[in-house]
Amino acid sequence: MHKLFYQKLAATNIKNNSKMYLPFILTCIGTVMMYYIMVSLSKNNDILEMNGSLRSMMELGAFVIAIFSGIFLFYTNSFLVKRRKKEFGLLNILGMEKKHISRVVLWETLYTFGLSIAIGLPGGMLFSKLMMLLLYKLLSFEVPLGFEISSQAILSTVLLFVVIFALTFLNTLGQIHLSKPIELLHGSQTGEREPKTKWILTLLGIACLGGGYYIAVTTKDPLSALTLFFVAALLVIIGTYCLFTTGSIALLKILRRRKKYYYKTSHFISVSGMMYRMKQNAVGLANICILATIVLVMLSTTISMYIGMEDIIRTHYPRNMISTTYDISENGVQTVKDRVGEILESHHLEAKNTLDYRYLSFAASGEKGVYVVDMNLADIMNIKSLCFIPLDDYNRLMNRSASLNENEILLFTGRDVYEDKTLSVLGHTFSVKEQLETFFGDGDEHMQVYYSTYYMIVKDVDVVNEIAEKQKEAYGDDDFEKFIYYLGFDLDTGNEENIQVYKEISAAFGVDDYPDGNVTSSVASRESFYQIYGGLFFLGIFLGALFIMATVLIIYYKQISEGYDDKNRFVIMQNVGMSKSEIKHAIHSQILTVFFLPLIAAGVHIAFAFPVITKLLALLNLTNVSLFAWCTVGTMLVFAIFYAIVYALTAKVYYKIVS
Amino acid sequence: MEVLTVNSLKKVYTTRFGNNHVQALSNTSFSVQKGEYVAIMGESGSGKSTLLNILASLDKPTSGEVLLNGKNIVGISEKEISAFRRENLGFVFQDFNLLDTFSLLDNIFLPLVLSGKSYDEMKERIKPIAKKLAINDILTKFPYEVSGGEKQRVAVARALITNPQLILADEPTGSLDSHATDHLLRLFGEINDDGQTIVMVTHSIKAASCAKRVLFIKDGEVFHELYKASMSDEELYHKISDTLTLIATGGERNA
Repeated sequence: MHKLFYQKLAATNIKNNSKMYLPFILTCIGTVMMYYIMVSLSKNNDILEMNGSLRSMMELGAFVIAIFSGIFLFYTNSFLVKRRKKEFGLLNILGMEKKHISRVVLWETLYTFGLSIAIGLPGGMLFSKLMMLLLYKLLSFEVPLGFEISSQAILSTVLLFVVIFALTFLNTLGQIHLSKPIELLHGSQTGEREPKTKWILTLLGIACLGGGYYIAVTTKDPLSALTLFFVAALLVIIGTYCLFTTGSIALLKILRRRKKYYYKTSHFISVSGMMYRMKQNAVGLANICILATIVLVMLSTTISMYIGMEDIIRTHYPRNMISTTYDISENGVQTVKDRVGEILESHHLEAKNTLDYRYLSFAASGEKGVYVVDMNLADIMNIKSLCFIPLDDYNRLMNRSASLNENEILLFTGRDVYEDKTLSVLGHTFSVKEQLETFFGDGDEHMQVYYSTYYMIVKDVDVVNEIAEKQKEAYGDDDFEKFIYYLGFDLDTGNEENIQVYKEISAAFGVDDYPDGNVTSSVASRESFYQIYGGLFFLGIFLGALFIMATVLIIYYKQISEGYDDKNRFVIMQNVGMSKSEIKHAIHSQILTVFFLPLIAAGVHIAFAFPVITKLLALLNLTNVSLFAWCTVGTMLVFAIFYAIVYALTAKVYYKIVS
Repeated sequence: MEVLTVNSLKKVYTTRFGNNHVQALSNTSFSVQKGEYVAIMGESGSGKSTLLNILASLDKPTSGEVLLNGKNIVGISEKEISAFRRENLGFVFQDFNLLDTFSLLDNIFLPLVLSGKSYDEMKERIKPIAKKLAINDILTKFPYEVSGGEKQRVAVARALITNPQLILADEPTGSLDSHATDHLLRLFGEINDDGQTIVMVTHSIKAASCAKRVLFIKDGEVFHELYKASMSDEELYHKISDTLTLIATGGERNA
């Protein structure tokens, strides 16, 4: 045989199957590029110099891409092999042994691999600079000059894809060797049996989905949302797979049993047609649904966090500058006020929105109005943050003249409803004189995020001190909370001066009679916020693009295989007396249902996930629910439009095959 | 009464750029009486398939007319043609043309469902047909679960259920073994005895010999015809066989 026979045959095979292979090769190139970009970003020197969170984010991204492209390329390849079984069978019958066919397949794999790397790597290098620019823009950093090619990233990319392609090759070999030529010839024609109804799986699916939704909707406090979210997500994923595969068929069979409904022109063709479509496509559609949901959640959360970053910073730092000091005596408070005043004066600045009060805040657990600090993890649901504030400060800030007895309190519980008449803490029992509707310091909501905070206004500093002592005993010398003087204010100045003021205040702590404590400035912290949220946003876009690429490819292959299957049916229906437009209409509506079902299901998932995601975002200090709602709706709209375009383009391929 | 009249039918296929003409039908004329059982025979390329496609209104002739009960089906608009076919014509194909996504019962119901008939009416209509064709036991099965003969009987049931003016059969025995062929031909005879008009296109002398009249087509024209009259199937078989030999060995000289 000619020396280059196998190589040539392999090349011709790829060329002749270009309708199937081109998208696959493009996806390989795409994943190579994305993986290279992610790895090279995580190895980039400028990013290495920044703090570690950004880098570990990029590393996580690279890891996700590696795993995902492995699974996805493997899955796609086995789909291609299934479609080509007939071709292999023919070669086999024409006299090629299986080992010869394997050699052809080896060359095909090598070509695909070669193409992917040869185009993907340079493409990745080009785009990595672009991605770098985007990332820096998102982080609002200065963009460094220069062009970097990371040899580590190249090595890592080549290695990963060698492994992936080796695995797909072995899988193909397995498929060829396990089958007989006659089976190979009929390879893609098997499996037209009517699907069976599997009630147990259907019920399991309904239970899982219902359970997932229930958790998502009913979870109230953010901390348990964090742990339960993954449980809910897992349940919803299992439920989605079960319902797409068995639930859909059970539903269609029920419809078919209702004769009066079934034997109607518009229902007859679509019910039975859908049954077979669902049998063949259920897993693929469930994949699309899950991917779409992930993309939507990822994009909407990261976008809203990025857009809402200023809000987040404000929630985290209710004032530009916040000083907390550990001396609540009149002297101590005055020293702090004077010193800060001097510093501001030297900069010709004025404190705005000043908020100052003394408080003691610690966590306690309990229920029915009795709180102790004897913590164990089982009680995590009942943890409250208790915040004690002397009446003087409250009256001053709220312009009130309330009065209290020794064991009376004013209580503010925010969103929580408190029903008891008394509240006891560490053996101290207070009677609730009044429940407050409003409270000072709009920014204090952030305290509400982790656990509910109960603000308790007590008669005077002495009462607070008493509680503080007891708390110190209970928590021990290392862990107890101090009675704090809080001074927060806004400054109307640029970032640099703000940071200067921040540094001067920081320098004052512990010097002379100035009390110990610390100061935080939102400006000084902004950079690290930008790193985290900008990095997350970047990752969201990047992985979103990857998943969208996967979705597009799945849709494309579904359309093609649907097309080949429908071709015969199309002819028969016409012979039996359906007009072309009737058939087209029937098939079109089925295809439409099949492809938009995952999108609709994803929409429902998102709608149910919305409450729990808002809780999670609250943990990350984003409490602006309407912003998140808009971002979700926006991403869903954009995604739906994108999906519709992809559908329309691939539908063209479908109609070309059918007619 | 004439159910079907074909008048000087002509069909010319033109290649895409119009420089190559192939004449499939040159001047075909014949008519079919109500209750007749006509077989149309001819070699490959004689224009049989083209004729059948035109009769089935799947294709349009270049010129000429096809009258079904006096109505010219060539002139029917694209919109109405499917409904017209559904209500007036029944089809039996060589490869059965059953949809494997439907049970056999649903395959039979398909034309009725498309015409918007009620389920109760369908149930009524299927009873006598299923009994006659002996398919009662297999109705809930799917096409891939039954034999070729059974599939073809289901296809016949589907053709009969609309009470068509005319049944068009295209090589109905082509995919069947001899046993199933005998069964099907017997059924066709019985159906015809009940008054159903049948036009069957076939290669098989055996199938044709069961018909009451045989038309021979050559080069797009009706070349010859035989009436069964009082002949037995065997006698007609020999007659057909002789005619075919004649056509193949130079019919034009002897005609």
